[in-house]
Amino acid sequence: MTNPTLFQQLEAMRPALLRFALLQLRNPELAEDAVQDALVAILEKPDQFAGNSSLRTYVIGILKFKIIDSLRVAGRTVQIETEPDQSEDDVIDHLFTANGHTVDPPQAWGNPDAVLQQQDFFRVMEICLEKLPAQNARVFMMREWLDLETEEICKELQLSSSNLWVILYRARLRLRECLDINWFANH
Amino acid sequence: MGIKPTCKEVHRLVSEQMDRDLNIVEKARMRVHLMICDACTNFSGQMKLIRRAMHHFPLDKDGK
Repeated sequence: MTNPTLFQQLEAMRPALLRFALLQLRNPELAEDAVQDALVAILEKPDQFAGNSSLRTYVIGILKFKIIDSLRVAGRTVQIETEPDQSEDDVIDHLFTANGHTVDPPQAWGNPDAVLQQQDFFRVMEICLEKLPAQNARVFMMREWLDLETEEICKELQLSSSNLWVILYRARLRLRECLDINWFANH
Repeated sequence: MGIKPTCKEVHRLVSEQMDRDLNIVEKARMRVHLMICDACTNFSGQMKLIRRAMHHFPLDKDGK
């Protein structure tokens, strides 16, 4: 017996879950599978949801586990591109002058708590995540969305620590710049 | 590495401290620079905001 209310609630969340699974996995079939597996797991054992957290938090937690599983399996077959190309270096270099000053000094963004109340901010941030190069986005989201430890990411992707730090730094610079232009310049 | 840390160095350290423990020299260089540099202080706050924001995803419904 499935609880129709639970089913409807989950279905309402599906598009958002799918968008994020896709952002992380960058593969429509794997993303669809991860979301489906998560929703089925919840519907099969509705009693597991104790109501201590919100349903949304619970569902996202399960989805993240499924995505991590999927990344582990994919990691064995798909080798991630780790060689930074020339354009990657430019992301860092073009922000600074030859003597290490910022070309365009970061301006204040205002009160962080107020920013995090704005739905539009998250919409812009999602677009900025989509615009990240695929490898950059996958690594960044493993760290910041799936909350994996750096050692774990290095192991999964066979990256050196220093290589990982640079990839994460580049992703943060790109996101910051995208948010600065598309959100903060207009608010 | 110069005597005075540059914004370029401090930007990188701000990001890396989110992924590893900085050593005592790196921490000192970063802190001293942040006391006198608005650009890097703003950058540091923005990195923290991005990390916090990532924990809100995905939102309940499309755009809601």
